Amino acid sequence: MADAVVRHVVTFGRVLREVGLEVGPGRVADALRGIAAVDLTRQEDVYFALRQTLVSRHDELELFDRAFNAWFLRAPVLPPVRTAQSPLAQEKIGETLSDAAGGEPDDEAGDPLELGASGHELLRDKDFAEMTPEEYRRVKRLIAAIAEQRPLRASRRRRPDPRGDRLDMRKLIRQSLRTGGDPVDRPYRARKEVPRKLVVLCDVSGSMDAYARALVLFLHAAVGSGPGVEAFAFGTRLSRLTAELGTRDPESALEKCTEAVTDWGSGTRIGASLKEFNDLYGKRALSRGAVVVIVSDGWERQDPELVGREMARLARAAYAVIWVNPLKGNPEYQPLAGGMRAALPYVDRFLSGHNLRSLEELAAVLAGIERRHAA
Amino acid sequence: MSAFGTIDELETALRAADYLPDRGLSTALFLGLALEKPLLLEGEAGVGKTEAAKALAVATKARLIRLQCYEGLDVAHAVYEWNYPRQLLHIRAAQEGTVSEDELFGPEFLIRRPLLEAIDTDEPVVLLIDEIDRADEEFEAFLLEVLSDFQITIPELGTIRARRKPAVILTSNRTRELHDALKRRALFHWIGHPSIDREIEIVKIRIPGISERLASEAAAFVRELRGLDLAKPPGVAETIDWAMALNALGRQEIDADVVEQTLGSVLKYREDIEAVRDETLARLVDTARTTAAR
Repeated sequence: MADAVVRHVVTFGRVLREVGLEVGPGRVADALRGIAAVDLTRQEDVYFALRQTLVSRHDELELFDRAFNAWFLRAPVLPPVRTAQSPLAQEKIGETLSDAAGGEPDDEAGDPLELGASGHELLRDKDFAEMTPEEYRRVKRLIAAIAEQRPLRASRRRRPDPRGDRLDMRKLIRQSLRTGGDPVDRPYRARKEVPRKLVVLCDVSGSMDAYARALVLFLHAAVGSGPGVEAFAFGTRLSRLTAELGTRDPESALEKCTEAVTDWGSGTRIGASLKEFNDLYGKRALSRGAVVVIVSDGWERQDPELVGREMARLARAAYAVIWVNPLKGNPEYQPLAGGMRAALPYVDRFLSGHNLRSLEELAAVLAGIERRHAA
Repeated sequence: MSAFGTIDELETALRAADYLPDRGLSTALFLGLALEKPLLLEGEAGVGKTEAAKALAVATKARLIRLQCYEGLDVAHAVYEWNYPRQLLHIRAAQEGTVSEDELFGPEFLIRRPLLEAIDTDEPVVLLIDEIDRADEEFEAFLLEVLSDFQITIPELGTIRARRKPAVILTSNRTRELHDALKRRALFHWIGHPSIDREIEIVKIRIPGISERLASEAAAFVRELRGLDLAKPPGVAETIDWAMALNALGRQEIDADVVEQTLGSVLKYREDIEAVRDETLARLVDTARTTAAR
């Protein structure tokens, strides 16, 4: 192959890396082989050969197209798609934090994990919205520990287990050889339990501000607990957060969350967000067989009827639907908000999630939930 | 190495197999053969991912071996399993314990599943691993090993190596993200809905004898449906089913009545069918007929 072509492709690989695609040397080598196999004078073939070897995800296609147009067709370079972190969002968090700091100070110093039993008990029942930053710092680890509880499902894979429910035929045959074909011992295998898919949809609109920090921590720990967890944030629209929450450090995850959910702190469109979820992800069966947890106060401002319709779709695909509403922590709370009322018929469990104790309850429900519980 | 020197040659062979790929898909299939790499196909349901593999098998005169993935798919169903009833009967029949373990775990007691079939054969094979995203991640990891080495180890028989690498097509509906390692190993192609002209062509080639007008109107109507906000927009497969139904009814063109009666073969959800009614339906039929008439 002509040196010029090789140089072109290698440099193009670097361009792609700069716009954020994962293009390793293996891929570039494939691209070169691909280019060598097609007719270089046909632009379409060159385009596809490069795309099919250098891109491996649907959501990277747009970036690839931009880069291809700019590099090979000399089209004007469009401004990068990446949106800067909204200063407004930062302010919001700052506000929430300083508001919380204005509350009663808690002077009990010491290791956050070594809470005195009494301090622990007190904090367990304290509403997240009323916690000081210091108290909050202490419960962080506990939130994380709670979030690691996962619903289980039986895997098809079996392992030897004397109390198993199915004969281990391979072993049985081998053992029967020694006894002339009579199965004297009966080895068994049992199903292994593996985590069930868990999908968390978290409302981060203005009315949920006070709980957002705790919930984001909860989400972060849930995503970190292993494969099969997907997290989404919604407000006026929906945003997938799994990747943002995949980082190690909850604080930076919180920042990245803020970045991803541009409508942080604005109004809520629960119905429209659920619809977006069902359309985009439900169709790809992300919710099928999953335990879906919706965290929201149910304040739909626009179309409660849509909430009901989309909840019905969601409930059909999901294994179970849990709704966590921090307002339920108030004994006088009645689910009268239009969206909440429309959603309830499709909810298997309705929980509060406003303090540590209620998160523990959520964890217990997650660990033991079965299909179609009464709410 | 591929039997096809150029993309055009492959395209001709696919066409002869009644499959009309767009240039992107032909390129992907061609590169899969030329580079001997698995090809991962993604796209909305019904755009012809599975069909592409079938057509490739016909075009390359290879045997199609299909592994349908599902949650809980395991080695016993994907690779091989021992035929225990036969083994037991064999021990019984031989009496006196004269059966050796080697004999018992020999090829005649082996049940071969798709992956083993695809590797342990001398004929050319197209291996279709359908809906890989439905399989568990453990299985995906195992599959990655098979696709790297093209060999399978059966403890009792040893390692079986592929004499010729099968052409491998993986499809995914993206219910979950596949493992990076698997993606790195494969070429990737996203199949979109076809252009209207291509879809008309597809309908005509799949339903011999259908009138030009009916094919055009059906394709144009389905295209209108895709523009609506539906739970499950129809794919090419639905267009074909529907056009087939209309053709079987002896129709030469579409009208609101016949569309209403047959809508069930295009739209699969009750709420979608309910959304396309009365004025909406009449309007779509009108638009489609105008589009089809050019």
